[in-house]
Amino acid sequence: MATNDDETSTGGTDPRRIALYGVLIALVGVYLSPLYSGLTTSLKTQQAYRETSPLQPPLEGLTIDPWLTAASELAFAMVNSFAMVVPATILSAVFGSLAAYGLTKVDWRGQALLLALFLAAVFIPYQAVLVPLRQFWSIVDISSLHARGELVELTITHIAYGIPICTILFRSYYRTLDDELMEAARLDGASLARIYRKIVLPLSLPMFAVTLIYQFTQVWNDFLFALVLLSDRANYVVTLELNALAGAMATDYGVQMAGAFIAALPTIVVYVLFGEQFAKGQTL
Amino acid sequence: MADLQLDSVTKVFVENDGNEITAVEDVSLEIEDGEFLVLVGPSGCGKSTTLRMVAGLETVTDGEIRLDETVVNERKPKDRDIAMVFQSYALYPHMTVRENMSFGLEESTEMPDDEISETVESASEMLDIDALLDRKPDELSGGQQQRVALGRAIVRDPEVFLLDEPLSNLDAKLRAQMRTELQRLQEKLDVATIYVTHDQTEAMTMADKIAILNDGQLQQVGTPLECYHEPANLFVAGFIGEPSMNFFDASRDGDRLVHEQFEYELSDETAAEIGDHDEVVLGVRPEDIEVRSDCEAAHSYETVVDVVEPMGDENNVYLAFDSEREETFVATIDGFQHVEREQSIVARLPEEAIHVFDRESGRALRNRTLDTQTMAEPPM
Repeated sequence: MATNDDETSTGGTDPRRIALYGVLIALVGVYLSPLYSGLTTSLKTQQAYRETSPLQPPLEGLTIDPWLTAASELAFAMVNSFAMVVPATILSAVFGSLAAYGLTKVDWRGQALLLALFLAAVFIPYQAVLVPLRQFWSIVDISSLHARGELVELTITHIAYGIPICTILFRSYYRTLDDELMEAARLDGASLARIYRKIVLPLSLPMFAVTLIYQFTQVWNDFLFALVLLSDRANYVVTLELNALAGAMATDYGVQMAGAFIAALPTIVVYVLFGEQFAKGQTL
Repeated sequence: MADLQLDSVTKVFVENDGNEITAVEDVSLEIEDGEFLVLVGPSGCGKSTTLRMVAGLETVTDGEIRLDETVVNERKPKDRDIAMVFQSYALYPHMTVRENMSFGLEESTEMPDDEISETVESASEMLDIDALLDRKPDELSGGQQQRVALGRAIVRDPEVFLLDEPLSNLDAKLRAQMRTELQRLQEKLDVATIYVTHDQTEAMTMADKIAILNDGQLQQVGTPLECYHEPANLFVAGFIGEPSMNFFDASRDGDRLVHEQFEYELSDETAAEIGDHDEVVLGVRPEDIEVRSDCEAAHSYETVVDVVEPMGDENNVYLAFDSEREETFVATIDGFQHVEREQSIVARLPEEAIHVFDRESGRALRNRTLDTQTMAEPPM
């Protein structure tokens, strides 16, 4: 919104300002109302849900039963999700960082071509790889080796899919690192690996926060790859199980809403934990 | 003890499109142990590339770099026994001063930890940064960071010290102070040192020997005073000295040099030195120009004062031969001598102080005659 800088602030009397805040508050309402009604619904008994408006606070018929039901239904899928997301996130960040180091601070032929491949990979849509992905994993059949094999396949898929974007993010950061630092370390006797370990890695921590948050959210929220690769219900990740939950309890909107909140919780926690580092990484 | 030699060293960069750029061409230099060599030249002249080749950060296209008679062209930087101070200091930002200084010793030597910390501490005392050992670089001032960068180089106890424009990020006062301090330090360490700078003042004041580079080619190697008083060519004459030497394009006409606005009589001696070169450049340093109110002596010319730059101890006076002021030249006169704009004065260009260069090749044909005096020791 354009507000004039040389206009002296007249408190609440400026009609343009009042209009501005009015619009903003209305927009906040629009954005928050689904969350709000979801929260109220998840705290109401079935009866209260039927009898009251979704916007009405759960004063009568207050219950936390939907949360307990959803939590117990989703518990195993949450564990599966974590088992997949944590290694997928960390490994794609680490590989991305290593690749970016090789593409910026190490001099060798053919870098431009490889970088172009990384860049292209960022823009490959999920849908485009579903069929080849399915075929690949039927050839490299990890799922036949172990009951949890499907989950390993999904994890590796996410690592591979996450590497390009992590590489590009790290690369843009490493390009700003002073080359003289690397040269000083070379003169100090450090090898390429030691320079990465002792100089580049410690300086990349803010960028790791950025990629970890990004990758965690992407992988945690993924539905499509999980749908294609997981067939055994025991291996379901939380997005799939939430979908199954909605199907099984078609009428119990309270449980569905609570389930949705539970499924979203880890990404919020990650933002809170790494938020400061994230902001630092983005301003770099 | 080390003796560093560069023998016809050439560096050619090949660009992506196949273009070849010769950054350094056929440079030969010798730096004896304990000697302070300043490599000076305008930006892009190849001086940093030369230094980086010595450090091993750039490969050598042609020629040899020898350390104590051993060719080190193919040796890795860490095996060359050199230490380098970078223009940006290149301090590791996530490490404390202590960690910065001990990193090199940890990476490249088998020195036990207590010996490392002892070395670091004694070096930091020498540089007066022992109180800062536990701070991070971003908590230090520019001057302090500079000292840490020096300390990091000193602890390695190298055979050769390389400094790449180490003072360029400091303010003028601190730069002058660090200049003397660096000199003192180098004398104490007694290590062969190559110091790269574009600042001719640093070159003049610090060097045992100056090497002047232009366009990748070595122009002259000599002591500061040699380069100042006996420049090998036009480039060196113009580069060394502040304000720069005045140049006048002139043609030879018998025993006179004819410039658009004046004629300069030559003595037989000078004429002989110039030989049969017809198109020449006459050079004279600002401080050699005598400014008088009137003068009948030879080589005196009527001029008009264009601009006066008072420096306190002296004034830089820009003079023009005519009121059009298309071409001015500068004379440095005593600070107490009062001169005003627009004033008409006589400038004398004494023959013993003039330089003459061949205009085409730039080579010096005649340099000023020197009559240096050494200050006598007081009688015992």
